[in-house]
Amino acid sequence: MAQIDKHFFADVFHLATARLEDSRQMLCRLDGEIGDGDHGTSMANGFAAIDRVLRGHPDAEPPEMLRLAAQAFLAEVGATVGPLYASAFLEVAALLDARGPLPLREFGAVLSACATGIAQRGKAQPGDKTMLDVWLPAAQAAHRAARDDLPPARMATLTRNAAETARDETAALMSTRGRAARLQERSIGHLDPGAVSSAVIIGAICDIVAERAT
Amino acid sequence: MSGVRRRTSPRDSAPARPPIRFGDDPLLWASWLYYQEGMTQGEIAEEMGASRPTVNAYLADARARGIVNIAISSEHMRSVTLARALEDQFGLESCLVVPSHGGARSLIDKVGHAAAGILPMMVHSGDTLAITWGRTMLSMAQAARLDGLRDVTVVQATGGTTAKIPYSPESCATRLADNIGARCVPISAPAIVSSAQARNMLVQEPVIAEQLTYLSRLDRVVFGVSSLRPNSTIHSSGFFDSALQQHDFYVSAVGSLAGQFMDAQGAPVTGPLSDRFIGLSLDELRRVPSRMLVAAGVDKVQPILASLRGGYVTTLVIDSDTAAGILRTLDVRLSRYISSSRDKPDTPPDETTEAPTRNLVKKFLNDPRDVVNEAMEGALAAFPDHIMAIDDSVRAIGARTPRPQGKVGVVIGGGAGHEPAFLGFVGQGLADAVAVGNVFASPPPDRILTCTRFADQGAGVLYVYGNYTGDVMNFDMASDLAAAEGINVRTIRTTDDVASSGFEDRDARRGTAGNVFVFKVAGAASARMEPLAEVERLTRKANAACHTIGVALEPCSMPETRRPSFVLGAQDLEFGVGVHGEPGVQRQKLAAADRIMDEVCDQLFTAMKLGTGQRVAVLVNSLGGTPMIELMVLNRRLQQRLNACGAQAHMTLVGHYCTSLDMVGASITLMALDEELAALLDAPCDGFAWTRNAVMKQA
Repeated sequence: MAQIDKHFFADVFHLATARLEDSRQMLCRLDGEIGDGDHGTSMANGFAAIDRVLRGHPDAEPPEMLRLAAQAFLAEVGATVGPLYASAFLEVAALLDARGPLPLREFGAVLSACATGIAQRGKAQPGDKTMLDVWLPAAQAAHRAARDDLPPARMATLTRNAAETARDETAALMSTRGRAARLQERSIGHLDPGAVSSAVIIGAICDIVAERAT
Repeated sequence: MSGVRRRTSPRDSAPARPPIRFGDDPLLWASWLYYQEGMTQGEIAEEMGASRPTVNAYLADARARGIVNIAISSEHMRSVTLARALEDQFGLESCLVVPSHGGARSLIDKVGHAAAGILPMMVHSGDTLAITWGRTMLSMAQAARLDGLRDVTVVQATGGTTAKIPYSPESCATRLADNIGARCVPISAPAIVSSAQARNMLVQEPVIAEQLTYLSRLDRVVFGVSSLRPNSTIHSSGFFDSALQQHDFYVSAVGSLAGQFMDAQGAPVTGPLSDRFIGLSLDELRRVPSRMLVAAGVDKVQPILASLRGGYVTTLVIDSDTAAGILRTLDVRLSRYISSSRDKPDTPPDETTEAPTRNLVKKFLNDPRDVVNEAMEGALAAFPDHIMAIDDSVRAIGARTPRPQGKVGVVIGGGAGHEPAFLGFVGQGLADAVAVGNVFASPPPDRILTCTRFADQGAGVLYVYGNYTGDVMNFDMASDLAAAEGINVRTIRTTDDVASSGFEDRDARRGTAGNVFVFKVAGAASARMEPLAEVERLTRKANAACHTIGVALEPCSMPETRRPSFVLGAQDLEFGVGVHGEPGVQRQKLAAADRIMDEVCDQLFTAMKLGTGQRVAVLVNSLGGTPMIELMVLNRRLQQRLNACGAQAHMTLVGHYCTSLDMVGASITLMALDEELAALLDAPCDGFAWTRNAVMKQA
């Protein structure tokens, strides 16, 4: 059975970096509508910094990789997403410290750890129109698929779909956190940029899960 | 209409000539008398010396020829348009949208009364009708009046609740039945019982079983929907208190309908409560022939949308803002953003077509990713007497001025893009160090920590920065790191932006140009060698005294995208903007400078309760693209208004202090002063954006 090992994380970060680079302008444009327009820059530059650091540490084990990623991302972007993703990665590192290498079909635990890190740092609630509104349902979908004993490729598909549905659902929500909160009801009808980039990252995770499952 | 005046025209039978102003046009004359003067057709006939049928024909003709246009007020017109769109989108039998604004009634009562108004079209003799619970349902039930119906039965849609709320299932059903002369059938059991076993026993109780049979033969159902947001009444309803603790289970639920949970697509979310519920199930509800949802408030967009998607609704009564929110939500497609991206054109770039670059803002840039570092290098070279790089990055910048032992350190910081803020306010009598982030993005904790170590002279360090989610997280992390090194750090988050508070409190406000005064007070207090607690107190007081409102005429554009951050129409301005190119709180029509300033003054004066004899410090600040000449025009009116209010400008700053890249617009900051704050503002300071020599002022 395939494992969530250091190659898994290297591949995930690499793929997410490429996808976020492709999404750079789109995320900035989304953010410009309800925020300050820097989200694409933060995410693309931040993941590029992670990718650079990880390439410089090819021998790092997963928990160490995630600590390096947290540090690199935070130092590169600061901003709002810096502390949030840094906390997410540190939470995953703590999970791996405690549990050791996980089998591939437990990737839901990685998503849950991210959600926990983000929630603890950002203090957002579900429905606040934040990235949490994608990480939580995606993690839940992965756990449900694991309970139903589905093959990993199918789990990946269901999780990706859940993330994309949740991403689109953020349009119906009213911002109560961050800069967009100033817009109150005017934020309805706009996707949350943090939710959109979360779906990009989760999509990358799911694609790597599917790839390794075959 | 009270202004009906008789004209002194001759009352003979010959047709009278219209007064000259009607240009010999009887149609215009007749229309004027009818629509403007409010005369009856008979009176007009007499006035014009024509027959009534002629007048009637004139009026019809006037409409046909476009002399008279009947306009429905735009707010009501919008409601009808929205209703049509919702009917089309969801295949509703009917939809009624009531304007969200105007009138004395609360939003809940507006939709409640509107729903009561259409009950006569919905309920007929012999009908069995179920009603759920909630504030909207109670409002509707209270307003409902139906006479002359026979054999109508109103059934409680779910069991009851123990909570003492006025809008319980029992009261909603009873009230509706009373007001429409119907028989009321209660459900003599709680909506949620303690176990599945208890439920199965209860529903077999003859009385309850009999009551429940009504729910299986309903002709109509009227229901509300609740969100699961923290402010929702569902949390005080007594229905689910223990269940919502297990919210994990319901993480996919977006709303509650008739006491049951559903997801964003309207599918029932089952959980530990599902087999303990007594009442109309969602499946049964969907089988009722006529189903009216009554709901109001933009926080319910998601649950209303779920109800519509789930097919629970045939008739919808809703307010206009919420209706618009639903339609905007449906309109969102991610592809819209991807397809509008010109960074990867589908067609090969053609040198002759200018279109792709037309909307790019011109800027002095090299690689846009280097803009902040290059700007800092330029600033360090320009102001070597004021600032210096603390480490080998150019993002942690310190003051050149000596930092005596025992002086409280003042560290400021935030995103780039606000130049000359924040580094222009580092220097003697101002801040000791500044951490610079990316454009509009907080600096990371390690950089703030570098600044903290630099500023610390053994007496502790005060952080002063704008109250933004990102800055708060990064500075808090830095503060933890500094504490671990034994540096005592206190924090003041600036919250001067009046417009950003909404209905929330002062602590939720953002920090904008008022930062400048707050930095000054912190710097002056620390230069006096006050202890940390005193510097903190004075700085907190300074922040509480500052009030700012920003107005944008054009959006700003980020160096990386070079595109406007939002779209503002040719005749629009954005009221209540912050300093990050984010849209403001309200879009308005462009007006004369004095009128814009009047509105700013009205809001600021009210917010700070400005009165006679009050001294204020004034900052008329460009958001980047507005030139000095216009700032001075604004200041003229501002000073007039201060005079009219009896207030006195103790100090006035006009210029670029805290900008938002190239945004065209200005912000106005007023700081209420007492002796203590005035003295601190008057103290000398020397930053490259604000130099003030010792002033010899007469008392």
